[in-house]
Amino acid sequence: MSRGGWGGGGVVPVAMVLLGLGGWPTGAGAQHLTVAPQAVLVDYREVSSGLRYSGSGFGGVATGHHGKLSAAASVVRLTLDPTDQSTAGAGFKATQLDAWVGYDVASHASVEVGILRRTADPEFAAQSLGALRVGVRSTYDLGPGATVSFRVDYLAAPKFSGGGRAAFSIDLGLGLDVRLAGRLHGVVDYAFERVNRKTNPGGTGEIDAPIQQTLARLGLGIGF
Amino acid sequence: MTTCRGGGLFLLAVLAPAAGRAQALQNATLRRAQQAYDNLEYRQALAFGQAALRERLAGAERARAYEVVAFSYAALDSILKAVDAFKQMVLIDPERQLDPNRVSPKAYSAFDVALRQVLLVRQLRVDSTSFVAGQGAVPIRFMVTQPARVVTRAIGVGGGGGPANFLVDSSAWNGQVNLSWSPRLPNGDPVPAGSYTVVVEARLGQNTFSASQQIRVTHGRVDTLPHLTSLPGYQYLPETEIPAQTWRPLGVAFLYTGGALIGTLGLESGSLGASSKRELGVVGAAALVTGFVMTLRRPAPRPAEGNILYNRLLTEQIARRNAEIAKENVARRQQVQLTIGPSLKTGAPR
Repeated sequence: MSRGGWGGGGVVPVAMVLLGLGGWPTGAGAQHLTVAPQAVLVDYREVSSGLRYSGSGFGGVATGHHGKLSAAASVVRLTLDPTDQSTAGAGFKATQLDAWVGYDVASHASVEVGILRRTADPEFAAQSLGALRVGVRSTYDLGPGATVSFRVDYLAAPKFSGGGRAAFSIDLGLGLDVRLAGRLHGVVDYAFERVNRKTNPGGTGEIDAPIQQTLARLGLGIGF
Repeated sequence: MTTCRGGGLFLLAVLAPAAGRAQALQNATLRRAQQAYDNLEYRQALAFGQAALRERLAGAERARAYEVVAFSYAALDSILKAVDAFKQMVLIDPERQLDPNRVSPKAYSAFDVALRQVLLVRQLRVDSTSFVAGQGAVPIRFMVTQPARVVTRAIGVGGGGGPANFLVDSSAWNGQVNLSWSPRLPNGDPVPAGSYTVVVEARLGQNTFSASQQIRVTHGRVDTLPHLTSLPGYQYLPETEIPAQTWRPLGVAFLYTGGALIGTLGLESGSLGASSKRELGVVGAAALVTGFVMTLRRPAPRPAEGNILYNRLLTEQIARRNAEIAKENVARRQQVQLTIGPSLKTGAPR
């Protein structure tokens, strides 16, 4: 069993590099920047249907758009407890970092790269995960100040704290940014994550240890 | 006698204004001649008129006396004598004109014959005009009553302050003549400002006649053209337009939410069981509500590309025209505007 490098300090520097390459729009030329604290709802399952957790959390998101470039970063702190049907004995806490840098290739479409890093506390209560994101995003203006987006990201090169590999990992999301009044924005986001993790404990052959998470982030933010 | 009375009726109409003028006549004999004519007593009018001509009369009254005599002869059917009297009249007052609609045909034909038997330059007119030097001319009109060699000159001050004599035309003319004079010096410069006399001299054998009119030439700046802020008939169009209200926002919200739902259902792991739909329910409902609200709201104005291109073209056209105007104004500031105003004073026959 090998420990994944993403679970350590490797992901954050990669995120910084990606954001730096993407030109994080904090300067005067930024056309749009939103910073929002968020409340989070989460559902997490691992290995089998008996290992299910549900919980909530809080965090923050920052999004920006400058010309054809866009970027977003979100950090949430989750508290997950076993559900009634769960066989898990105790819950755990997790911290998840997501970051994207996108480039518009058409009026409603962009390609994006980013990172995903989730760490569990206690460390072995659940799998910590680190991966690169590569995907596409479609964004559409519903009306003045309202934007809806749909994204599909392939999670490349995933690393797990418990080892293993995942040939197929995907993350899809639905996002909404609505200007409620003046600079006040409502920012909500849904993310569904499916990781087909396989492990080979003791070299006896690979077994499935999938991970599945649904996440909803709800926030009120300030737009600049 | 009937003829005389018939002619008298015509003349009554003609001389109705003359009756008023009779009051203003200074010479008593001429005044009595005019009154006798007004009373249709033509022989008496003729006698008084001829008597008046033997007295000292001013030019206008002498012409008036010949006119009374001429009309009296015409009324008495002495056409040749009427012609002679009219000739004397027009030599004194060449501008005298009879209205063919108000005088008897006999009197008018006698007047017309008289005009063609004497050499006159009549009705000399120099119209007021204004033009840029070198780009216009002064219209000169007059009438010559007989075929004659006519020399037209403009006489005024020269460039050095001395007299200047500009030949306008020298040709054989008869009848109505229309000439134009380009008031320029031989080097092309405009003639100096000041008073000029347009002299028309007609010569037929030993007979000569000249008429003149004073004109005044003034110099001025040529008006420059104002710059344009718009083109007549072309208005700027609004560069944004409000699209028609549609259900597209709600449809798109459905599409995106449906995509997330289908993706979630399709990607769920069988071994992990159905995932929680709570999270998607919250976000999807927010997206649908937002789409519905945006469907009901007035759409945001969007750029009207056609109008933007049109406005850009219009702006370029105005800028191009203003550049042409600026260039033209540079030339106009170097030009001289000539204004010619005639005076009504005409010269006497010579």
